[in-house]
Amino acid sequence: MASIRDADRVSDFDPAWLILPLALMLVSMFLLPIAWFFVRTLQDSGEGFAEIVDTIWTVLTSPAIRGSIVITNWIALVVTLVALLLAYPIAYMMARSRGVAFTLLVMCVVLPYFTSVIVRTYSWMVILGRQGLINSLLLWTGIVDEPVAMMYNTFAVVVGMAYVLLPYLVLTLYATMKGIDPSLLRAARGLGAGGFYIFRRVYLPLTLHGVFSGCLIVFILAIGFFITPALMGGPSDVMIAMLIEREVELTLNWPLAAIMSLFLLVVTLVLYSIYYRFANIERMMG
Amino acid sequence: MTRNTTKTAANTSGLGRRTFLATSGAAIAAPYVFTRRATAQNSEVVVRTPGGAYDDIRREVIYQPFEEKTGIRVVPVAATAAKLLAMFKAGHVELDVIDTGDDPLIQLDKLDALLELPYDSFEYTDPADIIPTYKRSYLVGNFVYAQVLGYSTKAFPSGDEPQSWGDFWDAAAFPGARMLADMASGSPNLEFALIADGVPMDQLYPLDIDRAFASLSRIRPAITKFWDTGALATQMMADHEVDMGSIWHTRVANAIDNGAELAIQWNQHMGQVQAYSIFKDARNLDAAVKFVDFCTSPEIQSVFCARWNAGPVNKKAFDTFPADKIDKVPGSPALEGMGFALDAEWWAENRPKVSEVWSKWILQG
Repeated sequence: MASIRDADRVSDFDPAWLILPLALMLVSMFLLPIAWFFVRTLQDSGEGFAEIVDTIWTVLTSPAIRGSIVITNWIALVVTLVALLLAYPIAYMMARSRGVAFTLLVMCVVLPYFTSVIVRTYSWMVILGRQGLINSLLLWTGIVDEPVAMMYNTFAVVVGMAYVLLPYLVLTLYATMKGIDPSLLRAARGLGAGGFYIFRRVYLPLTLHGVFSGCLIVFILAIGFFITPALMGGPSDVMIAMLIEREVELTLNWPLAAIMSLFLLVVTLVLYSIYYRFANIERMMG
Repeated sequence: MTRNTTKTAANTSGLGRRTFLATSGAAIAAPYVFTRRATAQNSEVVVRTPGGAYDDIRREVIYQPFEEKTGIRVVPVAATAAKLLAMFKAGHVELDVIDTGDDPLIQLDKLDALLELPYDSFEYTDPADIIPTYKRSYLVGNFVYAQVLGYSTKAFPSGDEPQSWGDFWDAAAFPGARMLADMASGSPNLEFALIADGVPMDQLYPLDIDRAFASLSRIRPAITKFWDTGALATQMMADHEVDMGSIWHTRVANAIDNGAELAIQWNQHMGQVQAYSIFKDARNLDAAVKFVDFCTSPEIQSVFCARWNAGPVNKKAFDTFPADKIDKVPGSPALEGMGFALDAEWWAENRPKVSEVWSKWILQG
């Protein structure tokens, strides 16, 4: 009797209220400050509407900002593809393995996630540097006579960022792969399909939603990256977040920084809405 | 039965919601309410500092002695230039003394945010002893540092070392990987680019921006990285990722003290100053003045600057400066005529323009 009443009470409480603390936190610490930032900085610029239009025009026409937007998108795209190529087999192994092997894989993927981005980035310097592990090995074995330039260029940025973002993709793909009904694969085999054929025609299509939403998450995170390109990049690996930081901290041109962040925010939201659509479709089909 | 339960549940949830709203509202507001006025005025002084190893030394040789002498606790906090500006604009100044490069202070002074320093009321320091360049109405020097040509002694043993920025720009005679300062560090090395192009040290300002960038373009293929922070610059030199570069001398000197195979070329060094200002609306105004006064006194200047490998702003400090360090800090007689001072006013005025040119130039590589 008592247990039934308890069950009733639980079901009568609208669980939507549980979201309240999170909603309060997001509104007070994220949305309001962002709104405040835009309003204040635009007010500060003084001249009103004309000034704002002027600033938007600057963002749209400045070759430096345009160049940086192209570089940012290009790096984010390459990082996403690299991360996907690395993450897919890892997620597959995770979905297939059990026991100790599974635990080890999860630890390998998730543990770096708990380390600070700066530490992870600096460790790449130790590995890729002119006197780093790889170059020392290459020089010692005589494969090369001169150290290979692996740091402070776009290659280093891609490696560093793909590494930092890998867990997001692995975990998304793992969730998708875990949801695939193994009997579908058995059915395909029973109908005489070979290993690669099953992968191409059955397994891969079933994981595509995970691939797509995982890639979007990684891409969204990548276009806002700051620390890794600043530390590991070459002179021209200027990502948009680095430009925004400079306008905020150095030239103290906050209206320009506000407009640039607004652009970044809009792009992110558009991508996010695409992500949301796909996530929904996935649920409907699931 | 069911109906009763429903009613109770609804009531509970209604009450809970209101209480919950109030509680969480209070919880969110609490930090803003309770951090203010938590302590009596002038029993502490809140100082913006760059943090790190710098703060460790200062805690030992400045903050603790100050606390013992005056009973005023020093609270070091981190804050960027943007945060300082935001605090001031929001009318919510949470710190008293700003210890930073003179650049952000010039910007803050333009907004009329800084106190006119009451030099007359100084007790520990005779204002006449402060080198005039570092004593302005709204800021007083903390220590003098320099951007120098740092080089690896592994790549360039004694006798083969680069002697000038002209040598630095000569990649044929001095092969090796190089680094220079990025715009994000505060200012790119336009001065060194102009010196390498033949402009005498005393005729640099106003900087010829186009000529400087043309000169930078010539050395760019040899540049591995433009550094944005002192930490990165030090790391790259100490790890021999580069063989030479522009770098803050305090960083190289500290790395050399720790055994790095590096050296400083003092010829054509660029002096810069780290300085103190006090917010006009500072809560602990008297304590702040006392702290700044204490920091510029000859004893403190000599002890701290020797530890930090920096140049003092109080000329009396040279009297007690350790003999093994005195020739290795900017402002010392041994380095007379070997450097020039960065014109922070010029940079405050022209930084947005340079930043624009830099942004275009950097993408052309």
